[in-house]
Amino acid sequence: MKALRLLSAIAGKLALCATLLQPATTLADTYEVKLPPELATSPRMCDYAPCKDVIPGAIAFSERKGQPWYVEAYKDEAGQKKLLGYVMLSTDITDIPAYSGKPVVTLIGMDTAGKFTGVKILKHSEPILLLGIPESALVKFNDQYLGKFVGDNIEIGKSRPEENLIGLDAITGATVTVIAQNQVMMTSGSEVAKQVGILKPVNRPQARFPASTATPSWAELVADGSVQRLTVKPEEVGLKSDGRPYMDLWFGYLNQPTIGRAILGKDGYEGLMGRLKEGEHAIFIIANNSMDSFKGSGFVRGGLYDRVQVRQDKDGFTFRDLDYVNLWGISAAGAPAFNESAIFIIRGKGFSAAYPWKLVFLGNKIDKETAAKTFANFDKEYWLADRYLEGGRPVVVKPDPTWLKVWKDKVVEIVAFTALLLIIAAAYASRDKLVRRADRKNKWPVNVFKYTGWVISIGFVGFYAMAQPSITQVLTWFHSLLFQWKWELFLSDPLIFIFWIFIIITVFVWGRGLFCGWLCPFGSLSELLYKIGQAVGLKRFQFHLPQALHDKLKWVKYAVFFGLLAVSFFSMGLAEQLAEVEPFKTTFLVGLLNRSWPYTLFAGGLLGLSIFTERPFCKYLCPLGAALAMPTTFRWFGLRRKDECTSCKACAKGCGSLAIDTKGNIDQRECMLCLDCMVLYYDDHACPPLAQERKRRTKAGQPLTPINGKGYFIPIHPLPMDKNSKGVEA
Amino acid sequence: MNTQDIKQNDQDMVPGRRKFLNTAALAGLTGAGLSVGLSSCKQEATAPAAASAGAAPAAAPAAAGHASSVHLAPGQLDEYYGIWSGGHTGDMRILGIPSGREITRVPVFNPDPLIGWGITNESKAIMGTKADGSLRYTVADTHHTHASYKNGTYDGKYAWINDKINGRIARVKLDTFECDRITEIPNIQGFHGIFPDKADPVDPAINYTTRVFAGAEFSIPLPNDGSHMDDTSKYRSLFTCLDAETMAIRWQALIDGNCDLVASSFDGKLAATNQYNTEMGAKYEDMMSAEKDACTFFHIARIEQAVKDGKFKTYGDSKVPVVDCTRESNKDPKTALAAYVPVPKNPHGVNASPDKKYFICSGKLSPTATVIELAKVLDYFEGKLEDIKTAVVAEVELGLGPLHTAFDGRGNAFTTLFLDSQVVKWNVEAAIKFHAGDKNAKYIVDRLDVQYQPGHLNASQSETVEADGKWLCVGCKFSKDRFLPVGPLHPENEQLIDISGEKMKLIADHPVRPEPHDFIIVKREHIKTRQVYNLDDFPNAIKDPKESGVFRSGNKVTVKLVSQAPAFSLREFTVKKGDEVTLILTNLDKVEDLTHGFAIPKYNINFIVNPLETKSVTFKADKPGVYWAYCTHFCHALHLEMRTRMIVEK
Repeated sequence: MKALRLLSAIAGKLALCATLLQPATTLADTYEVKLPPELATSPRMCDYAPCKDVIPGAIAFSERKGQPWYVEAYKDEAGQKKLLGYVMLSTDITDIPAYSGKPVVTLIGMDTAGKFTGVKILKHSEPILLLGIPESALVKFNDQYLGKFVGDNIEIGKSRPEENLIGLDAITGATVTVIAQNQVMMTSGSEVAKQVGILKPVNRPQARFPASTATPSWAELVADGSVQRLTVKPEEVGLKSDGRPYMDLWFGYLNQPTIGRAILGKDGYEGLMGRLKEGEHAIFIIANNSMDSFKGSGFVRGGLYDRVQVRQDKDGFTFRDLDYVNLWGISAAGAPAFNESAIFIIRGKGFSAAYPWKLVFLGNKIDKETAAKTFANFDKEYWLADRYLEGGRPVVVKPDPTWLKVWKDKVVEIVAFTALLLIIAAAYASRDKLVRRADRKNKWPVNVFKYTGWVISIGFVGFYAMAQPSITQVLTWFHSLLFQWKWELFLSDPLIFIFWIFIIITVFVWGRGLFCGWLCPFGSLSELLYKIGQAVGLKRFQFHLPQALHDKLKWVKYAVFFGLLAVSFFSMGLAEQLAEVEPFKTTFLVGLLNRSWPYTLFAGGLLGLSIFTERPFCKYLCPLGAALAMPTTFRWFGLRRKDECTSCKACAKGCGSLAIDTKGNIDQRECMLCLDCMVLYYDDHACPPLAQERKRRTKAGQPLTPINGKGYFIPIHPLPMDKNSKGVEA
Repeated sequence: MNTQDIKQNDQDMVPGRRKFLNTAALAGLTGAGLSVGLSSCKQEATAPAAASAGAAPAAAPAAAGHASSVHLAPGQLDEYYGIWSGGHTGDMRILGIPSGREITRVPVFNPDPLIGWGITNESKAIMGTKADGSLRYTVADTHHTHASYKNGTYDGKYAWINDKINGRIARVKLDTFECDRITEIPNIQGFHGIFPDKADPVDPAINYTTRVFAGAEFSIPLPNDGSHMDDTSKYRSLFTCLDAETMAIRWQALIDGNCDLVASSFDGKLAATNQYNTEMGAKYEDMMSAEKDACTFFHIARIEQAVKDGKFKTYGDSKVPVVDCTRESNKDPKTALAAYVPVPKNPHGVNASPDKKYFICSGKLSPTATVIELAKVLDYFEGKLEDIKTAVVAEVELGLGPLHTAFDGRGNAFTTLFLDSQVVKWNVEAAIKFHAGDKNAKYIVDRLDVQYQPGHLNASQSETVEADGKWLCVGCKFSKDRFLPVGPLHPENEQLIDISGEKMKLIADHPVRPEPHDFIIVKREHIKTRQVYNLDDFPNAIKDPKESGVFRSGNKVTVKLVSQAPAFSLREFTVKKGDEVTLILTNLDKVEDLTHGFAIPKYNINFIVNPLETKSVTFKADKPGVYWAYCTHFCHALHLEMRTRMIVEK
């Protein structure tokens, strides 16, 4: 007590100093301000509250209405008063206390679509905002709600899109305040949204429990899911492991008589139920051997338990000090030892044990370098087993996970895109037939597929579906492999997901060229520009870098890739920023004209350069190409080569990718699989050894037999098998 | 002490000490703190020193393992509430068991500046005031405390505690651990024993406490109005029955002798008090002249019928009906209101066994315990038992100075031996067999030295059907060398003994400020406390800060205030010299543990208001000036700033 008193003395002095040093207005605008008493009672609430501040554009407000209270806000539309949205006073709806034990009086605006339009603190009593943290932090926190939909799952902590969860950044050092504030915002918003029809009121019938005399053991309770375990590893909150879990919680629902009696014993169960009113529910939590406490100390001055809460669909239930009851012990045989325990009473409306719910643990994740805290949610679902519910579990239509929803929404695009990939793959698989139909003058049998692929890739895949694969996905993939694999993460974008499956398969079958050369939206755009340039008479300005220089520069993209990978291990965020070396985002996702000039200049420059030299980005910079080039070394099917290719330079000369070296070997890592050299391979007018043989036979009056798979005329005299007849695959 | 030593003690030491008693005990015993002397051990010494220790009778199954650790890790809670009397501090103490930590003190009969007991109007109304508004009594001596029952075990509703000095009984609500009623019992002095009933004697549906019995020690003239003071043979003690809910007195019983302690049967039919001084002597020599004293049994149903039938007297100003339970008037067992079961002289303590069958009186001056079978007492009242003496089914020797008995629920009894400074563990059924003639029955199970000279003892849940045989507390009246000395006044030594095994194990010494007497040990599951109050519990509550203000009616001024951390609703209030000021304070903080204090310097006022509680004080504003009233109970980071200014104008 002495220490506390001392502390209070210091705190008091600090507050005094602060008051002396700064104008009072900037220190704490709304700390313990005196609000007009009419604010709480007058039908004309907006005469006493700055309603207009929280719903821009409003010109008039209704009187208080509804149960609980809200007011309607109107705008002027051509002289007519039109409903613009709603304004509510938090204390009309809920009395959830914050750290001080008193509510933060908050004025909340919401439009007719249920999106928050404004949040204003009218009065708070948080000493923490008086003594340490600027009040602006709370304002900043509240601004996060603007534009968010009241029906969304909004929680403090990280967003988890795969679970439809929108995260908010907390205020370090004021957890209780922000958790209470989130509860206030969401409760107030949804209460009004339900009244005005934006949200459907959730009506979960209460569970009824069958009579039973069974007294299950702890092991049986665990087996049938009546107690659940929520474990958080130290690594998950940025701490070093000391062998213990950061948090190891067992929890369960106590109103169910069989479970309640098994956990609390007969007397304990009846005693607890005697304390509960109609519609109240009790859960227990125990923890053992954890690195931290699940209670914390946030509740001490009358605020909330800021580390555990219960969530059922969109309804959150927090606990305050008066919702806590001691858990004396667990009578079920075989229960684990524990050093921290609690019974919490869920008093909020709408909770039903017949339906699944989650225990949410809110952890502090500490950044090792900056020591900054971020908040991370961990949860575990709980649903009473059939046997504990009269009539068994009700049918629950669970909303599809986001990824599945996206897949369902995009089914047309997915089918079309998959068809495109299959057609391109099929075309490439039948390349022998296609290249035989083509010749050096008419490459259309091949190009019709390739150019179609390009156009669809640029237009549909790139600009429309924004499914341009990127090096960031490779980096994410690496991190996922190393740390935590989450399918949801990759499934959330179906086209990209399918694209990657296609890329991985084709890289190992044929090499990266099928993607890079035929389907990469940016690559396609780049080469298409080159082709157009060629077609519109700019050919004379078009050039290739000298082979020697090219052979040096082509390694740059590998350096870019490894550089990004290395950076990503230190900071994914920085790596993602540096990945802007890919002009994809500027080109397809945002648009050239929608970005600041350095980005536009970079992407535009690369595209402009593409008109004059073939695929400059792909050749020298693209980290994604580099990443795909390496596994291409292990592709199964390469392009065909002849013995003469070692000395003949015909193909090399025509190779736009500069992928054929002086010995005639094709560098598959650089090859875009344009198939030009394969057209030549069967072209008896273009391929020098073939042309020579054709001329010889013509002179000798010998018939021109068909060209075999090895790129030679079928010999007229059967020859013994020797080395000369061997086709070479480089 | 190993088995060999114990054996020696039993075979050699006990007779040795008895000899000592026979010869020269008087001075020594008086010196040792007994308030009475003794002449001799008159019991027929039929029982030789009991069986050797260590040989456990088959009837006493050893409990599995030992009770849990006495040391609680941070954050761990005690398993039991210990409810202790405070003695002549006049309060009740709440201890955690097994840790022995004192958790709180409940002021009952005596003023307490912390909570403002005896300062606030509300507490004064409970404590009782004189015409001028000052407290009627400010001293008290609490000895015994027992809690209310349901289904034979504690229901966590009330505990009662006596005041021996001024003859009062108080009730403490166990949801708030606050005293809510005090009743002064008429016609008596030296109110000592106390016990609630456990069921109604007639209506089986009432299986919970509705009565509290109270025994008075000192005989006084009736009425005690200054007449008949010389004829001590007319002095009388009364046995009293109160209503547990209203705390009004239902009836009193005129008896021969006086009352030491009280017990009640689980079926509600019987209550009993053990008596010394059945001779009705006024001096202690006279008090020991008869052959035997008695344990007096009351037939509750018949007494209440007699009251209903108007067969009672009243004394002086008291309207309380007093029925006649003297031997002379109750000779026919079939109509008798009371039965006197003879027990050795000057017994001490009467305890009901958790198997509901027996009451056990300790001998004090006799080294024996007397086991009385309740079924036989009921038979006597039915006329089926020839001689009430045969209700005694065992009278066995335990050691020197047996006082009080507790139980482990496994058939064993634990009796304090004041003179031997021991606790003896003995088996009740084996003792009954021994008494019946089976001299091979070994009823003594174990003996343990305690430090020093134990009075009361009690075991966890011992007085209920849920006696669990885990912990035994022994209230040692002398601590001597057991704690850091703090001058001539020593604390008492409450010793904790693990009784979960066959052998008793001394686990801890706990100092307690003098001087608790009796206590009970209640499983924590039975106590359900409130976290905060309800505003509506207080008719004078100020529910809205806007109702604050100074309201004058002539020279009577009411100041209404609320507290919300860190402020009182009025920054100042002004009264005039000579005003009679009533200040009402409601704590509107609805936060567990957020208690505020309110002190007015120079006006000798301090009290606390718990969350959502309302209290008031009335005082004369007789000193003009400025007085900074402030919050005395730490509440907030700005606790020091939490003040209000009382301005008393000339």
